[in-house]
Amino acid sequence: MPQAFIDILRCGALSLLVGLLLTLAGSLPAAADEDEASAWLERLGPALNMTSYRGVFVYARGESVHSMQIAHRYNDGVVEERLVLQDGGSGEIVRKGMNVVCVLPETGRVQLDQVIPSGPFAEAFTSQLMPVNRWYRAEMKGEDRVAGYDVVSLALSAKDPYRYSHRLWLEKSTGLLVKSHVRNAEGEVLEQFQFTSLHIGEDIPDSEFEIRTKGREISRTLDEPTPAASVVQRMNGWQLGWRPEGFMPAAAPRSGKGQAVAFSDGLAAFSVFVEPAGPVTMPTGASKIGATTVYMHQVKEGGNAFLVTVVGELPPQTARQVAESVRIEDSLALGAGES
Amino acid sequence: MDDRLRETLSAMMDDEADELSVRRLLSHDSQDEVRAQWQRWQDVRDLMHDGHSPVHGMDVSVAVRELLDGRGSATARPDPAVQDSKAGRWHWPAAAMVAMALLVGFGAGAGWDSSGAGPVQPVTAAAPETPVQDQPIREIALQGLDEEQWEYMSRYLLEHAQHNSVGAGRGAVGYARLVSANGVGY
Repeated sequence: MPQAFIDILRCGALSLLVGLLLTLAGSLPAAADEDEASAWLERLGPALNMTSYRGVFVYARGESVHSMQIAHRYNDGVVEERLVLQDGGSGEIVRKGMNVVCVLPETGRVQLDQVIPSGPFAEAFTSQLMPVNRWYRAEMKGEDRVAGYDVVSLALSAKDPYRYSHRLWLEKSTGLLVKSHVRNAEGEVLEQFQFTSLHIGEDIPDSEFEIRTKGREISRTLDEPTPAASVVQRMNGWQLGWRPEGFMPAAAPRSGKGQAVAFSDGLAAFSVFVEPAGPVTMPTGASKIGATTVYMHQVKEGGNAFLVTVVGELPPQTARQVAESVRIEDSLALGAGES
Repeated sequence: MDDRLRETLSAMMDDEADELSVRRLLSHDSQDEVRAQWQRWQDVRDLMHDGHSPVHGMDVSVAVRELLDGRGSATARPDPAVQDSKAGRWHWPAAAMVAMALLVGFGAGAGWDSSGAGPVQPVTAAAPETPVQDQPIREIALQGLDEEQWEYMSRYLLEHAQHNSVGAGRGAVGYARLVSANGVGY
């Protein structure tokens, strides 16, 4: 065999080896991958508010699928938003800054005034960045296309069994969330959200933000964000003995006569409601609607019965554990005995 | 039982009943009567088709709970009652199956109480490292709730969704949960 040929062979083998090493090295630094994923996550919150876009998205959980049209504009620091239901009864939600107007179908069994968001809106919350990486393993999952836009996909896998895993698809140039999945430990998709048509850009006319549905309107001005300290006040009379690590007190819903506290780990959230048991007897156990679990059980304290309800994007086991850790300390503070 | 209900029942036999009428049927006062009628018709049909009535000796409540939860057969458990009879091979349309079990399996009242009676496989079964409660979680099918209970539960769902829409910074997803909570299951 001519020496030159052997040289070529040797050279080829060498470059093959080098190539192999490079490939290996490329797959090793998962940390870099996580950094990239984190960088994308940091864009997620601001992008949701500060990007202007309009489109139609579908949302599915359990057996229900909804399609909604959305227009979102960020104008002089004010968020304007209009959501129109595309199926079922007609209805819409229009928001300008802290003013929200809801027109929802009368066919729903739930009273309209319960539907209005009564808590603080997202800005204040998303600005405080959660260390999502501590509870989820972030991983880049490559590139894709959603609703005509190039997207990056990232997986956030739960590091413990207390929460679900998430998969997010973010538009490349803005970081806007255009698709998401919530999955359980078996990889089953429990809840999904996805834009089917989307236009990102500032050129959305004012007319897109006007109420057009006729019906009972309910408007409300949102309260200023509640400082987390007031959680203590809202937990007056009861204590939460356990919650999964990483869930911090968050902006909370206002419950009627009871006490509600919400917690979030940055991705998932759950709310705990403690109320004197009402005239309606509720079963003990978990109900699931897609990724949302409702766990209810009764606690007796000092001759009074209380209904503890945990609602959240949590596995049923976690919801139960949270619910069962609630201890009633002062039944009077919870309004027991009042009707 | 009036003609309309009988018609619904008949449509259910052919798996052609719409959800609303099935619900009406299920909320009918005399469930015993409905059940008896259903069973009679089943027997007749089975006789005509020389089949075996699955109504006798078959516990479908577990499968139904799973159907209601949308988990399909993912967590199918061996059920002697089903395995022993030919009924185990019956492929029933989901709607008819659910309706039938509500009528036959859940007993009078068709309330949540009996619907949650059996053990359901713990959801975290695949995660053996779970240090906590391994006992099964009692599942409540939303469809088994009566109107008052449903309203009670949906209030919590809504309040949570409200928080979600505003707090967790997920924007449209939160809104979607909110709207979905308003109409879930119905």
